[in-house]
Amino acid sequence: MTQKPSAKKSKEPEYITVNFNLPRRYRWSTGKYIGRTYQEAKEHKKLVANRCRHCREVLWPPMEVCGRCKLEAGEDWVELSQRGTVKQYTYLVYPLWDPHYGEKFANPHPNAMILLDDGVYIRHFLEETDPKKLQVGMRVEAVWKEDAERGEGTADIKYYRTIRA
Amino acid sequence: MPNRVAIVGIGQTRHRSTRRDVTLQEMINEAVRAALADADLRMKDIEAVFSSSMETFEGIYLPDHVGAVEIGTYMKPGFKVGTGGTSGASVVVEGFHMVSAGLYDLAMVVGFEKQDCGETTAAITAATTPIWGKGAVTGAIGEFAKQALSYMETSGAREEHAAQVRLKADRGACLNEYAHLKLGLKSAEEVLKSDYLVWPLRFLDFCPQSSGACALIFASQQRARKVRSKPVWIADVEVVHQEPFWAGTFGDPTGRETYSQHVACERLYKRNGITHPRREIDLAELYEPSNWEEMNLYEHFHFCEKNEGWKMVEEGVTEIEGDLPVNPSGGVIATNPIGATPTIRVAEAALQIRGDAGGHQVPKEVNTALASALGGPNWTVLTLLKRSV
Repeated sequence: MTQKPSAKKSKEPEYITVNFNLPRRYRWSTGKYIGRTYQEAKEHKKLVANRCRHCREVLWPPMEVCGRCKLEAGEDWVELSQRGTVKQYTYLVYPLWDPHYGEKFANPHPNAMILLDDGVYIRHFLEETDPKKLQVGMRVEAVWKEDAERGEGTADIKYYRTIRA
Repeated sequence: MPNRVAIVGIGQTRHRSTRRDVTLQEMINEAVRAALADADLRMKDIEAVFSSSMETFEGIYLPDHVGAVEIGTYMKPGFKVGTGGTSGASVVVEGFHMVSAGLYDLAMVVGFEKQDCGETTAAITAATTPIWGKGAVTGAIGEFAKQALSYMETSGAREEHAAQVRLKADRGACLNEYAHLKLGLKSAEEVLKSDYLVWPLRFLDFCPQSSGACALIFASQQRARKVRSKPVWIADVEVVHQEPFWAGTFGDPTGRETYSQHVACERLYKRNGITHPRREIDLAELYEPSNWEEMNLYEHFHFCEKNEGWKMVEEGVTEIEGDLPVNPSGGVIATNPIGATPTIRVAEAALQIRGDAGGHQVPKEVNTALASALGGPNWTVLTLLKRSV
């Protein structure tokens, strides 16, 4: 039996929802260069980078090839300063998704771009959570995680705390 | 000497936050049909189709394969381009290269994104390597927030200027039948009342997630005038890559100076004899995820002196009826189907040259227009369009 099309507009199509419940088990190699940074952070609470053997630029993150020279950078390792100056900062007012693990998070610690005293920039967190005490130009110093908690590269630094000089 | 390439067909969807009524493929097909109708061509006339989107934003890998029929690439050559935020411009460059090289006389490029599928952030999660910068990145919005702070601190711009840019975008969007967010904002104060999201960015200071597609048909010089009497010419393109985490090396990672943008526009301007961009470019469609970034871009592309982007806003230079209109369409802050966003910049710039933009057509004659794209890894893609070459 055929039906006349209804004069009433049909219901809007439905979305279907699919849940992905399998845990993801990815493994990433840290490699020869970034691996060295992981090792020094874990074992000695140090940040290390390699210097290009041609142009002498400090490469951060450390890498095999110098982008400017387009040649093998070599393994001239240098230790970076533990102190620096805040050049930019921002803080969450509204919770966001963690860009790495897809969980909603409301990290109270401001995210900053810090210029280390050797002229290398690092993106990291600030201990200071009071917006009134934050300012561009403030001096900060690395606070490292406990021995048992280290092993995650630059995330081995808990955050940067405000210092006087 | 490469062959000249013209844009002979332009089509886009009405961009929305959700498109419950269509599948991804059906949504793309709307833009494809619109471009074909605009050029008065049929799909069988098109020799190759190139597409772009953000990998896995829809939760599926290789969406162009699923949509081969609706995109029009079934039994034809072509492929999908993925370069992050710049994808929709990279596909324009790809189509340009193919036709310019003489491989095809008629090719189509299609940018698309259906963000109502849900998990855009889950896809961004997979875009960076967990071995570097873990947890210390807040995604695109955190970076633009820091950039806004730097812009404020170094240029002297105030929040009122950013609010004015947002107001300008909304005015354009409300006149643009294809735009997504049409808020009907009446004053800058309304923008300044919007809550902070990631300080100092407010909800209204950042682009939305949109669903939509945009298609362009490119023709070789000999074919272009047979398709339409007044095609828009792609005068030149420029692409500069950058490394996202290369903080502290070869330039300023604060976003106040974006090295790739400097290099890209210097090359493009030099090759095309542009010495006074403010005078020689009639209109720009820029990729501005935030209103603060738009002022930054005025400076990066040398529309004004350094630290004076906000003065262009005060003078109204970049308004629809201004001297150098920027984003009369409402821009990215009003409409952002990511894989299509840069394609829309090129489409809108071309429509302005043709005089076919509709409600947001600028009153001045547009002979030369610039379309820009940027992506998370600080890539820059520029497209220079001209009425005649």
